Amino acid sequence: MIKKHLLALIALVVTLAYPSCAFASASESDGGESKINPKEIIFEHLGDAYGWEVPFNHHKRIPLPVILIGKDGFHCFMSSKVEHGKTYTDGGAMFKIAGKDSEYKGKIVEILPDGTEYRPWDISITKNVCALFIAVILVIWSVVAVARWHKTMNYKAPRKMVGALEALIDFIYNGVIKPTLGAKAMKFAPYLLTVFFLILYLNLLGLIVVFPGGANVTGNIAVTLVLSIFTFLITNLMGNKHYWKEILWPDVPLWLKFPLPIMPVIELFGIFTKPAALTVRLFANMLGGHMIVIVLTLLIFIFAAMGPVVTGATTVVSMAFSIFMLIIDVLVSFIQAYVFTMLSTLFISFGQEEHHEHEHEKTVTQ
Amino acid sequence: MELFTPDFGLIFWMFVAFAVLFLILYKWGWPVILKSMESRADLIDKGVEYAQSAKEQMEKAREQSEKYMAEARAKQADMLREADKIKTQIIEEARKSAQVEAQKVMDAARVSIEQERKEAQLQFRNEVSSFALDIAAKVVRKQLSDEKAQAHLVNTLLDEMETKN
Repeated sequence: MIKKHLLALIALVVTLAYPSCAFASASESDGGESKINPKEIIFEHLGDAYGWEVPFNHHKRIPLPVILIGKDGFHCFMSSKVEHGKTYTDGGAMFKIAGKDSEYKGKIVEILPDGTEYRPWDISITKNVCALFIAVILVIWSVVAVARWHKTMNYKAPRKMVGALEALIDFIYNGVIKPTLGAKAMKFAPYLLTVFFLILYLNLLGLIVVFPGGANVTGNIAVTLVLSIFTFLITNLMGNKHYWKEILWPDVPLWLKFPLPIMPVIELFGIFTKPAALTVRLFANMLGGHMIVIVLTLLIFIFAAMGPVVTGATTVVSMAFSIFMLIIDVLVSFIQAYVFTMLSTLFISFGQEEHHEHEHEKTVTQ
Repeated sequence: MELFTPDFGLIFWMFVAFAVLFLILYKWGWPVILKSMESRADLIDKGVEYAQSAKEQMEKAREQSEKYMAEARAKQADMLREADKIKTQIIEEARKSAQVEAQKVMDAARVSIEQERKEAQLQFRNEVSSFALDIAAKVVRKQLSDEKAQAHLVNTLLDEMETKN
């Protein structure tokens, strides 16, 4: 009992002491500028970056390769070359990260001889791309490990990591894919399981604050867009005759489709709203999760200006809330991966229905 | 808003990364795992079914064996009883035959004793008669020392013979 109280007391003292120190060092490093800009910090953490920040250091970043296709061809250099507003000259071209008032804020631009900024084709390995690669490697490693285990230890009871992963695979395959797609489950399962595991790994890695994690990849609209484009392509390219008949000549009273094709237009529109919903759902959920935790943490620094008592109280409350939110986010990480997979399965199954069965799309909103 | 405008570089890399990931897992990952999991599930189902039926069969077999055991025990008891009966019967028969034999022996003995006795009697009679004859001869000889008495006896005997014939 005493031990418990002691622990709480230590935690309180540390949390009370920490923000003032951190704030002090932050204000020192910012050259005496004591005002922090929460919006900038939030967007910096939610967005992409050319380098990967390390804890307790505002200046040093892990350099990542920048790959550009400028006006005069390929340029490849480390992001440390353009850190802190530096201009880097590679060959005849000058590059720098565009400033706050630029149209391409935060992105690398090429400075043309006449002084104007030109945005080259940018396929840099940014923080998000790097995090994506890490997640891809982890997914490949874990899934191939399970497959290898199956090849060598066939019919043994799966234990440890294989058991944990198999539980997930079984949950998705026998819980979602098989009941929805039936006999065609095996055909689409590789894609859907890949999507599930990639999203899950990305989500969970995003919750880890330091290096291999912390990137807001699934909370980036580009990533979710690509994933839903894949689902869109699979749904429509693999769709059967019945699926297209339902769209172009649905089973409704004639006046709804001729002479004015009201229903076909709505259905055609529906083809595109489904992937759009998929994109936005995952993106908004993950973005929201990251944002809440950052905002809660930033509250400490915002209230730091109001004296130590308020700061201390805010620290305790903010920490409690952000830890709570992070725990919720672990759940959300799983749920969002699950929901994305489930909806993809559902959309794909619309293209696979054989007999006429009026099944209205479930609109899952969250 | 930069958050809502998809970045080309990330889209490009996402396409590449996802395609590579999918192809690798499609080739070396999922089909093996899913098929193997399915067949293992089937195997487990079959195993459980087999175990259940085996258990049932064993139960049945045990019941059968118990029945056989009971039957065997009953048969054994019957056999023992039968054997006991046969035993007593044999003993009884043996005793009876022994009695008969004994009777026979005794009868034979009795017959032979009778015969012996008769023979002895006969011998004895013969002897007695010869003794008597001797004695009588002696007595008669003594008495027949005079003529008169002799003639008288011969006459008496002749008379007797005459009356007999």
